[in-house]
Amino acid sequence: MENFFDKIVELFTTPEYIDSLLHGFLLTIEIAFFAVLIGFLLGLIIALVETGKSKWFAPLRFICRVYVTIIRGTPMALQLFIMFFVIFAIRDFPQIVTAILAFAFNSAAYCSEIIRGGILSVDAGQTEAGLALGLSPLTVFHKIVFPQAIKNIIPSLGNEVITVIKETAIVSMVGMYDLNMAAKDIGSGQNMASYVVPMFVAALFYLAVVYLITFVIKRVEKHMRRSDARA
Amino acid sequence: MPEHKNVISVRSLKKAFDSNKVLNGIDFDLFEGEKVVVLGPSGSGKSTFLRCINRLEEPTSGEISFEDTVISDKNIQEMRAKIGMVFQHFNLINNLTVMENLTLAPVKLHRMSADEAEKKARELLRHIGLISKAGAYPASLSGGQKQRVAIVRALMMEPKVLLFDEPTSALDPESIGDVLELIHEVVDDGMTIMIVTHEMDFAKEIASRVVFIDGGKIIEEGTPAAFFSHPKTERVREFLKKVL
Repeated sequence: MENFFDKIVELFTTPEYIDSLLHGFLLTIEIAFFAVLIGFLLGLIIALVETGKSKWFAPLRFICRVYVTIIRGTPMALQLFIMFFVIFAIRDFPQIVTAILAFAFNSAAYCSEIIRGGILSVDAGQTEAGLALGLSPLTVFHKIVFPQAIKNIIPSLGNEVITVIKETAIVSMVGMYDLNMAAKDIGSGQNMASYVVPMFVAALFYLAVVYLITFVIKRVEKHMRRSDARA
Repeated sequence: MPEHKNVISVRSLKKAFDSNKVLNGIDFDLFEGEKVVVLGPSGSGKSTFLRCINRLEEPTSGEISFEDTVISDKNIQEMRAKIGMVFQHFNLINNLTVMENLTLAPVKLHRMSADEAEKKARELLRHIGLISKAGAYPASLSGGQKQRVAIVRALMMEPKVLLFDEPTSALDPESIGDVLELIHEVVDDGMTIMIVTHEMDFAKEIASRVVFIDGGKIIEEGTPAAFFSHPKTERVREFLKKVL
């Protein structure tokens, strides 16, 4: 046990180790942040197409259905490999962009399902009231349906963000130096020769971020629920 | 009545939900200043008829005009702004305060400035005794309060006609009176209305004409006096026997 604490002190006091860890942590956050952002926007577009009433959307709806089915039906790790070794197998193409897109495309499918569920959870009477007043479908969506949908899906979206953050750990499989990879590297024989401590610390890093996000989401949710009787 | 302006005219309106034929050819005219009460058994198509007028339901066939303009997908937004609607389940916008519910449409559609809208909303809320609820969200209002707010929300747009779709059916008996009173006031102010209701006494009181729908068709129509005391068809006699 004493050895364990010595190793922790060693990890935090050796600049080389702590640099590696922070470097990896930063990459994890960067990938997750942009993937969630792009994934949400893409997911919103897919959800809009899928819930849209217009006849013109029919072919687009079909494409979206196929997309969501494929993404949800195949492993993320395989999607990552396909992005790295097939689609973006271009020399000098920035790895981080490939990774962000891989996770964004994956998250978009899940986000679209969450957002679609949220839109459908809003009572049809809300839309009808807006339309009956003469508001455009766009205004009705933006002012009435979307704010209510978002409120209902904040917990699920939070889950999705957390999933993406943790799932980014598989970029180490394509050789990217994220938090997970950094832990493995620091623990390897050439460095500390002990996996326990760096992996324990990496776990704490993940846990801290996830905890922080959970906290923020709770606050946001509470703020959004102010129009509810339940608040 | 005929010298009055035609507000809504409906020609051979049909509406089917898949194979379920709800409206089977309705011809109807609504003139300025009329108070038309639409009666009929449940499932007869009364609400669908009303909802076809502002195209919350798309007619399967037929034509509906508002002030001599045929309502189409192209002009529907403009038409809806002139045709107010009050729903059975109030449908106040849950994420907006009472004040925002009242001002959203008139401001968005440039009927008035934000200041004007708020001033008008305050007047109306004061009138219905709910000024203290201006900043409240709908969830904190009782059913009767919600419906009264919904009625003044429709009035904010200064519509040419107001459609009421069973406005008291979802209310507890105590608040029905308040809502009917407000509708009565609106009617007394000269608003042209169409109302689907099961409140027979109220119907007799305010109607200038009663329209009876069954099986997706207008079976009988006439003045309330004639309709309630001397119904022409067996179907209406049967109906009145049950509800009166």
